[in-house]
Amino acid sequence: MLIRDLYGLSLHNLLLHKVRSLLTSLGIIFGVGSVIAMLAISGGAKKEALAQIAAMGIDNIIVYTKTLKKAGGSEKARSTTLEYGLSHLDLENIRKMDNIGHMTTARDARVRVTKGIEALDVQMFWVTERFMKDLNCKIVRGRWLAPSDFLNATAVCVIGKDVQRKLFNLGEKEILGRKVLVPGGAFSIVGILENNAGTTIEGINSLNDSIYIPSTTGKQVFTEYTIETGPRMIKIHHVENDLLVIKVKDTSVIDHTAKRISSLLAKTHKEKDWGINVPLSLLKQKETTQNIFTIVMGSIAAISLIVGGIGIMNIMLANVYERRKEIGTRRAMGAKKRDILFQFLIETVFLTVMGGILGIGLGFGLAAAVTHFSGMPSDVSMWSIIGSITISGIVGVVFGTYPAWQAANQNPIQALKAE
Amino acid sequence: MRSTREIIRFEQLEKTYYLGAIDVPVLKGIDMSIAQGEFVGIMGASGSGKSTMLNILGLLDVPTGGRYFLDGKEVKNFSDNYLASLRNQKIGFIFQSFNLSPHLTVAQNIEMPMVYAEIPRKIRRARAIELAQQVKLGHRLSHRPTELSGGECQRIAIARALSNKPAYLLADEPTGNLDEKTSDEIIGLFQELHRAQKTTIVMVTHNPELEVIFDRVIRLRDGRVVDEEGEEITTNYADT
Repeated sequence: MLIRDLYGLSLHNLLLHKVRSLLTSLGIIFGVGSVIAMLAISGGAKKEALAQIAAMGIDNIIVYTKTLKKAGGSEKARSTTLEYGLSHLDLENIRKMDNIGHMTTARDARVRVTKGIEALDVQMFWVTERFMKDLNCKIVRGRWLAPSDFLNATAVCVIGKDVQRKLFNLGEKEILGRKVLVPGGAFSIVGILENNAGTTIEGINSLNDSIYIPSTTGKQVFTEYTIETGPRMIKIHHVENDLLVIKVKDTSVIDHTAKRISSLLAKTHKEKDWGINVPLSLLKQKETTQNIFTIVMGSIAAISLIVGGIGIMNIMLANVYERRKEIGTRRAMGAKKRDILFQFLIETVFLTVMGGILGIGLGFGLAAAVTHFSGMPSDVSMWSIIGSITISGIVGVVFGTYPAWQAANQNPIQALKAE
Repeated sequence: MRSTREIIRFEQLEKTYYLGAIDVPVLKGIDMSIAQGEFVGIMGASGSGKSTMLNILGLLDVPTGGRYFLDGKEVKNFSDNYLASLRNQKIGFIFQSFNLSPHLTVAQNIEMPMVYAEIPRKIRRARAIELAQQVKLGHRLSHRPTELSGGECQRIAIARALSNKPAYLLADEPTGNLDEKTSDEIIGLFQELHRAQKTTIVMVTHNPELEVIFDRVIRLRDGRVVDEEGEEITTNYADT
């Protein structure tokens, strides 16, 4: 029998019973649909997480200061000085190590940014000039802090793009040149900064939620000493740096470099008043976690497809029984066993593949609905579409073989007698 | 009437069913031959072995003893594929209940054996049209069998049986499901095919009224070929 005739015949038989065909493939449709949707949602989450990590810079090592919870001196002391965090000496020591490129620092000014009397969830940092570039930010309006700002310690600032919304009313368009007022100083806004991924780093809420001033200005205005007062006590915090972003020269040994920095800091600091992050390692970890997630999803998918496949097998077996007379007639007319086998097998594969295609449509819809209603990002990958169609076809072959074999092995004499 | 060429010849053909411990002999050494262009009836009461003989003639079943020559060649090495292609090429089946596919058009039904013969679509369609015209249903090509009368259905079935130009037509009670008038028409069509195109026809029936239309009748009783009086006939092929 010619292949073309075989396809035509199988398709014809399916189209005869459109509703039945649709009902039969429901298992596959929903199986594939949920798989596509789940993969799309997990893929979207993965993409977002990876973008965030990548935005921290995959050739960066990030070292940060941890605020000590415990007071350094005696609890009863009325005034204490707490010295902790990354010191200038640490920076010099790290700079001398191998594989270290540029370094960028940031220091939380530890001032409250307010709008009227309302405290805002906004931090102010004094930063070095390379900060914007090394943390993959860009200027959306105005300019970044200029070398002359650092040299002259001018009172200027660059604000994150979300700060604009928090600090000013909606209608106010022209904010460049306006001033940010904090206890101790007033800073003219010269630019608006944006980080695409909205990266959050330990110690920084969000790069888009912060205000940046030149390090020289910061040191002059705020000094490295911050006074914290409480009932009958005064604490003086002495912190030299809050954040250190180190660019490495060779990323292939980034973990090793990070380890050496850790052991250096562990030796020179009495307490664990620092932390370290390697975005590249986080990226790899995240990828591993995502892969496990994908495997779990795949297993669930496999189960739903097996259930769908069994449903199809059942219907096809009933179908074979119902069509015995047709099978007998075809055999009498000269159909070989394999002609009958392929006729039924192709019918099943058509069913599952069409189910798969409809399922992909359903998956797209589900993913879009989830994104619409919950705001979770989704991303349907080409790979999941190709995989779904292939797997649908395989399910068709696996679960169609037995009914097709039954059809092919009907005794033609008995089959002809069937009503 | 002995014409030039033999289409079918059975030599001491036997069929025994083995049902567990019991052997049930159904055909007990059948000798017969059918020549090209003959219109032969196979008759007998139920249980005479008529159906078994039909199945073996139609290559749906295989004998357990003796030899079967079809169109000059012995049918042996009974592999399933081999039998299927012989059925496709040599035999045109006509059934009592027509066995047309209700979902296919008349043309598609006629084409079915040609599909299994791997004949290209265009040639198939042309032949189907020609055959439909021959059974006087050329105007019904795109109808479905459910839209046709019983007699028309059987005409389509006959056209289908003829599509691969088989060595002979094998009809199993072709008028069993039809009323008298339609039966006459179908028998008329068979006679016409026989007369005009020298088609070899073997018809299995238990209807004694049809006896008159056959060139020859092969009577079966209890698994043997008998004459009109019920006496066993033996043919000695060595003499011919």
